[in-house]
Amino acid sequence: MELKDASISRRNLLRGAATAALLLPFGATLASCAAPSGGGGGGDKPAGDVTADNPFGVAANSKVDAVIFDGGYGIDYVENSAKIMQDNKKLGGVSVKVSSSTKIAQELQPRFVGGNPPDLIDNSGANSIGWNTILDQLETLDDVLDSNNLEGTKISDTLFGGVKAPGTFDGKFVALNYVMTVYGIWYSSSLFEANGWEVPKSWQDLKALGEKAKAKGKYLFLWGKEAATYYQTMVVDSAVIQAGDDVRVPLENLDAKAWSHPAIQGILEILHDLIASGYVKPGGGGTQFTQAQAQWSLDQEALLYPSGSWIENEMKKTTADDFQMKGFPELPLDTSQTTPAGTMRAEAGEPFIVPKKAKNPAGGKELLRTMLSKESATAFAKNKLAPTIVKDTVPADGFGSTALVSQSEMLAAAGENVFTIKSFNLYGMNSDQLPIWNSFLDGKMTVAEITSQLQALTDKVREDSSVTKIEIK
Amino acid sequence: MSYSTVSGGPGLETAAVTAVQAGRRKPSRLGRRKLTFDYVSFIAVFLLLPLAIFLIFVISPFVQALYYSMTNWTGFSDVMGFVGVDNFVKLFNDPIFLRAMLNNIVLAVIVPLITIVIALIFASMITVGGPSSGQVRGLRASSFYRVISFFPYVIPAIVIAILWNMIYTPSGGLLNGILGLIGVQDRPSWLGDERTAMGATIFVIVWSMVGFYMILFVAAIKGIPSETLEAARIDGAGRFRTVTSILLPQMRDNVQTAYIYLGIMALDAFVYMVGLNSTGGPGNSTLVMSQYLFRTAFEKGQFGLATAMGVVLAVITLLFAALVIGVFRLIGGKDEEGRA
Repeated sequence: MELKDASISRRNLLRGAATAALLLPFGATLASCAAPSGGGGGGDKPAGDVTADNPFGVAANSKVDAVIFDGGYGIDYVENSAKIMQDNKKLGGVSVKVSSSTKIAQELQPRFVGGNPPDLIDNSGANSIGWNTILDQLETLDDVLDSNNLEGTKISDTLFGGVKAPGTFDGKFVALNYVMTVYGIWYSSSLFEANGWEVPKSWQDLKALGEKAKAKGKYLFLWGKEAATYYQTMVVDSAVIQAGDDVRVPLENLDAKAWSHPAIQGILEILHDLIASGYVKPGGGGTQFTQAQAQWSLDQEALLYPSGSWIENEMKKTTADDFQMKGFPELPLDTSQTTPAGTMRAEAGEPFIVPKKAKNPAGGKELLRTMLSKESATAFAKNKLAPTIVKDTVPADGFGSTALVSQSEMLAAAGENVFTIKSFNLYGMNSDQLPIWNSFLDGKMTVAEITSQLQALTDKVREDSSVTKIEIK
Repeated sequence: MSYSTVSGGPGLETAAVTAVQAGRRKPSRLGRRKLTFDYVSFIAVFLLLPLAIFLIFVISPFVQALYYSMTNWTGFSDVMGFVGVDNFVKLFNDPIFLRAMLNNIVLAVIVPLITIVIALIFASMITVGGPSSGQVRGLRASSFYRVISFFPYVIPAIVIAILWNMIYTPSGGLLNGILGLIGVQDRPSWLGDERTAMGATIFVIVWSMVGFYMILFVAAIKGIPSETLEAARIDGAGRFRTVTSILLPQMRDNVQTAYIYLGIMALDAFVYMVGLNSTGGPGNSTLVMSQYLFRTAFEKGQFGLATAMGVVLAVITLLFAALVIGVFRLIGGKDEEGRA
């Protein structure tokens, strides 16, 4: 009996195997690989009439497909704008699908190769698509800025200065960066007040502040391993504030002596001295970066943290009560800075792009236009405590946020004197720079060593003929 | 027990048996075998289909990868240019890639060695390490240890990596907390220090793997007739001698397989590395090839170069397997000629 049972099940097994085997080839034809197949997209795009209320000619009843990076700002701000757009009677009814992604490059790579990219992408985050690989596949967005917003004002007149710069490559404006990001050094103003400390004015002041911090059992700086290059940002930005384009242009264009500039060297020397003096909390190379940041914002083990203005939103839930976060621009080396006072790094971030091969690029642009309306931009500033590139959306009280108020003050003080650094992200250099900075901050490297290693990375990109270089002015 | 008559039961008329019987009835040359439905379907299901699946899903991607590795494909367009072996030349002149390769080789040598030695010790304790009187058996409560040591293997690698990442955190982490309690002043930052990062990483991988290989070895030891073990004991062999002279020679194949499996895992190691040190460690001290490949592809948009890294990784893996098999054959002794 048992034997027979066994044999029946064996026969069934065989049948099953045969069926499965027969079905598999169908699976094979269904499965597509990431191999380039060409074609697709282009050609027959739905087109509507171009009117003042529909400047890009979005076809009635068309669909818009947006993929948004789900990072510090979430995706609800785009969903809000999508709702406004769907309710916009003048478009004749469009439906907008907003999807989120935390790995833009990996998820969209097959769609780009297959010629079927979304209509609007927020190409942001650690896994964003490298710019030099997709530039020639992107629509230029000048017409978005030339159009009127939903309130009837020309969009380019409503924006902060310099917002086109970070999205302009080789003279073509292809990425609209939506959120205004200010790079600075952040601190607890209540802590500074309670101890009578003063905000440093140049790198020369940092050592004295470090001593005072040490007297209180605190550190001056701390870092986390994934964010070690925030210190690179601070050093480079500071050097640009000190010496202007003399530092910036060679760095951006991968010059063979870019890292040897005296301003960078002077700042590195001071930073090295701070590390050697024990003013930088050791062990950051083994600490996850948000944990490290919480040691600054919650435990207040360190006084200062260099970061972009997303830091307030990022640490919202792990910030000590009455922290009163404020920021100041990155510091010049000494008092002889060649740039105008108040010069700082501020750039629009969260780059939105519209691929040429998308099915409905007009719809992507229309969604951008909706996001740039006063209504959408104000809602963003209020919910995210960060200004968009649209001016005058933050009231004087900064919706109750001291950090947002100090951002507005910094931007006002800087006026047109803002700059950006593009090349590190453009050529995807950050991950190669991270291990170097982790070593340096850990006190394992001299200034000469870090200079030669960073320069070696720069040289490698410059001499790699397969990497398309873009001249940055 | 009705299992005694295994051959020729009525229920055994599977396609295979029929085909064999058909062949027996007409002992002619292969090409002139009668093409019955059974025979054809047998060949189709057992030979052609697997072959087709193998060709489509294994061989063709390999060939594709080989081609992409010789192009400058950026990954986001359908255009690519053929560049010959440029990518490989570039790789072997890239100090970061060479560092990653070295790290991989260190892992592939050390991880299997430590894991197998520990797993062997545990397996022996559980099976033959018990009292030296009576039947040969393991320590008391050995089945309890067996279950306990298998736990880490049940947890997914990424969870293990994140877990240990937190344990290793220099301030506020469990490990340094304990070290602080027992009065250690100079506490290392583990994953954040070039000197300790690799060691700490290897420990985690070994920790997660020992349980499984212990079970594997326990099974192998159970396959050794207990008479042999008892005879050895009567001849006066102690536990250590039993392990080295009786157990090890009889489970050489298991150890070899374990070595190759662990080595291949260590040559990849992607999940552990990403979870423990996503940045590649201070000074690239824990960067592995698969991590660098991922970066090159998705961050730098150099899919051609990244594919070349994949090809190099595959070649190294094959070489590793060949090397291990060769070494085991060398030390395997001449008495086992002809064994696979």
